[in-house]
Amino acid sequence: MSGSSRRAVAAWVAFILACVAIISRTEFSTDLSAFLPRSPTPAQQLLVDQLREGVVSRQILIGIEGGTPAALAEISRRMAAKLRRDESFATVNNGENVGLEKDRDYLWRNRYLLSPAVDREHFTASALRRALEDDLQLLGSSAGMLWRKVLPQDPGGELLRLLDQLEGQTKPSMQQGVWFSKDGKRALLVAQTRSAGYDIDAQQRALVRIRAAFADAAGVGAARLLVSGPAVFSVSARETIKGDVLRFSLIATILISALLLLLYRSARTLGLALLPVASGALAGVAAVSLGLGSVHGITLGFGVTLIGEGVDYAIYLLTQMTPGTPARNTLDRIWPTLRLGVLTSVCGFSAMLFSGFPGLAQLGLFSIAGLIVAVAVTRWVLPALLSPGFSAPAVTALAPKAAFLARRAPALRPALLLGVALATLFLLLHRGPSWSDELARLSPVPLHDQTLDARLRSDIGAPDVRYLVVVSAGDQEATLQASEHVGAALRQLTTAGMLEGFESPATYLPSRKTQRARQDALPSAETLRENLERAQTGLPFRAGLFEPFLEDVSAAKRQPLLDRIDLQGTNLATKVDSLLVRRPAGWAAMLPLRGVADAQRIAREVAAVPDAQAVLLDLKHDADQLYRSYRSEVLKYSLLGAAAIVVLLSISLRSARRVFDVVAPLAASVIVTSAMLILGGHGLSIFNLVGLLLVVAVGSNYSLFFDRRVDSGQDRERTIVSLLFANISTVIGFGVLSFSSVPVLNAIGSTVGTGAMLSLVFSAILARPDDRAAGGNAA
Amino acid sequence: MQSMRQVKTARATFVERKYLSIVSGPLESSGTLLYNAPDRLEKHTLLPAPESLVLAGDELTITNEAKHQRRTLALQNYPIVWAFVESIRSTLAGDLPTLSRFYSVGLEGDAAQWRLILTPSEPSIQAAVSKIRIVGGRNQVASIEIIEPGGDRSVMTITEEGR
Repeated sequence: MSGSSRRAVAAWVAFILACVAIISRTEFSTDLSAFLPRSPTPAQQLLVDQLREGVVSRQILIGIEGGTPAALAEISRRMAAKLRRDESFATVNNGENVGLEKDRDYLWRNRYLLSPAVDREHFTASALRRALEDDLQLLGSSAGMLWRKVLPQDPGGELLRLLDQLEGQTKPSMQQGVWFSKDGKRALLVAQTRSAGYDIDAQQRALVRIRAAFADAAGVGAARLLVSGPAVFSVSARETIKGDVLRFSLIATILISALLLLLYRSARTLGLALLPVASGALAGVAAVSLGLGSVHGITLGFGVTLIGEGVDYAIYLLTQMTPGTPARNTLDRIWPTLRLGVLTSVCGFSAMLFSGFPGLAQLGLFSIAGLIVAVAVTRWVLPALLSPGFSAPAVTALAPKAAFLARRAPALRPALLLGVALATLFLLLHRGPSWSDELARLSPVPLHDQTLDARLRSDIGAPDVRYLVVVSAGDQEATLQASEHVGAALRQLTTAGMLEGFESPATYLPSRKTQRARQDALPSAETLRENLERAQTGLPFRAGLFEPFLEDVSAAKRQPLLDRIDLQGTNLATKVDSLLVRRPAGWAAMLPLRGVADAQRIAREVAAVPDAQAVLLDLKHDADQLYRSYRSEVLKYSLLGAAAIVVLLSISLRSARRVFDVVAPLAASVIVTSAMLILGGHGLSIFNLVGLLLVVAVGSNYSLFFDRRVDSGQDRERTIVSLLFANISTVIGFGVLSFSSVPVLNAIGSTVGTGAMLSLVFSAILARPDDRAAGGNAA
Repeated sequence: MQSMRQVKTARATFVERKYLSIVSGPLESSGTLLYNAPDRLEKHTLLPAPESLVLAGDELTITNEAKHQRRTLALQNYPIVWAFVESIRSTLAGDLPTLSRFYSVGLEGDAAQWRLILTPSEPSIQAAVSKIRIVGGRNQVASIEIIEPGGDRSVMTITEEGR
């Protein structure tokens, strides 16, 4: 071993040790929101936050089926009782009236600070007169019986007003005192976890508790438990990712190793061939860990593709070595091409680095670091470790056959041209619906889980929280004040029939300003007594009946203002906490809307409310919009990546014709692959788009080697064998991923697997006959 | 009780007078009643203010058109309301077992002129209703009187139509 070889090997060992040291301290995550876009606008950020940690992300829908309604109801009651005692859950609702007394008590005691009707007009003699006349009617009606008891304290009807606000929502149908599906086959519960949706460990614990509570409550009966919701999805997705990463890495490694053994017939050579990839993978993980803080499980899964691509460099070297000559000679020969190939690949992966998806950026960084290290190890470390007499007999045997095929390939040119023309035509015709525009497409949730979710959701009749007004301000008080302004506008819109109703944290916890205003508006004891006497004149109420009312009002005038702490122990506390949240900068209030009839008008009027920063979010529409804006961003970066590759090729090859020769098979491959994907029944997603860019980045290696000027026919034959095996290993690496159920891995895997194979075939078909003839003649 | 079971559908007008301690003089309301065996009962008050109550299965829907209010209660969640509506519905349906779940049932008189006296068995319901007296003849109900612990009471006089 020469001095420089020794130095190279020593540097490599040190580098690997450093990588291992970094990786040993790396945090690994499986948070799926990494593959939700990072959001530039505050409204979009709110949307992503909602998906990550909002009320929706904390909801677990539970169904119990397989029994008589009475048995199911009993299980539901026992389960709910047990889960309500569990700290993991903020609320557990199955339709039972649990904790409503506390809510009612809070509303009752604080009715004069909470009631939106309280203003200076409210307790004038004429207003009281109208209220008392209404009271008389109410007493005569069927509801009067229950309400009679509170009348002496509440002739203004504040409690009824507050309860109406509380009970405005649609509810599931009831049987046996608990929620049931309409057909009576499933008892239903809704649990809300305390921890945010992105905290998968906590969600998993919550699910375990639910299963345990069910097992306890149901015993050995025939009843079955159905669970759905974002928590269930992220937990099962994590399991899927873990399983896929392990399984597919293993399968790809075994297949590629078998291929290499077939080719080199030597375990030592196999080890050498895998060395650059292994080093690259370690470097990739270390780079992501250093650069981005933590490594995502999906990134590791993507490592599989690196095995497929990174092993190519070793294959080029080992296969193209002429028996009896040192590795260095071969390297000198192929290095310019190899280097250009790596650079084009890096250009391609860079586009991922700049995309708005933190997850894709990880994959990009991982691949770039991995490829650079793999090629560096091939260039400087492998030659030092190869024995001087190295040869690959199988290559020599295979070479003529491969070369024969390559020589025949151009005969397929008319077929290729026709295929590309048809594919282009097809793509032009399918321009409209060929993009899949739903964010849900990125969801890793299997279809049958989605169906179960939809069924439970429609059972519960909970309208999807689709419209949400988000109000932002600097602190809690300002946010509540702004919510009240927006609430006033929404009430007008409700009267105008634009929506059926809405919820607001300020309903249960008004701003201090509003509370003080209501308190100030309450008349003094003497004034109120006078007004009441005048109002009562001629009405049949017993004298002195309303003394308790006078006392309560004067107590309310002195009572301390309400704070969040006063809600403690009520269901309203949970509601306020989920609707009023502290954010990295300031606070935000969420006002879910019901029965929206005219979203555009609401959006306009809400945005126009003075003294409030409010936006109407349409969770579905905005999410899809967000997705589209990200797709166009990814498209932009992909085109930039492709342009960078062309520029790079132009600079290196210095010939428009050669650039065209290299690019033409890639373009053909991209066109045909896209057409095949759409023919396969899927719209193209962002991930397919990224995959297409990688087809260019990876495929360029093949067309570059086909384009390379060669000295001898034997050399060319070996090049073709190396390309063939490099390609097969790449197709294996990406191809196995197409069996993954994680959408990002599946989409990139199937796209690149198909595209890389086509790139090689098309490169062979489109190779210039004169080059080939030159090689053939020399042989 | 048994003859009540033969009635599949009935329509009637009612006048209800409430005698309440907090108000001097009775509060009067009137409207129509509609019964469909076995479990649908509708009470449409027309005067002094329109309001309708529809009892179907174990759901009670209260609608007040003037106030744009509509509320549906699951009876299981409102035991007092449940006991209350069952006193009328189960009587109309001739459903003694259900009546007996809520009340101890006393029957006086004969088939031509009978009097049903219901006393709630649950303490929580006793707090709201002390006694319900239903007077009728053959398979028709003539009046329902509800007496509350405080002495408040209401009397509903029923006149059947179309028989």
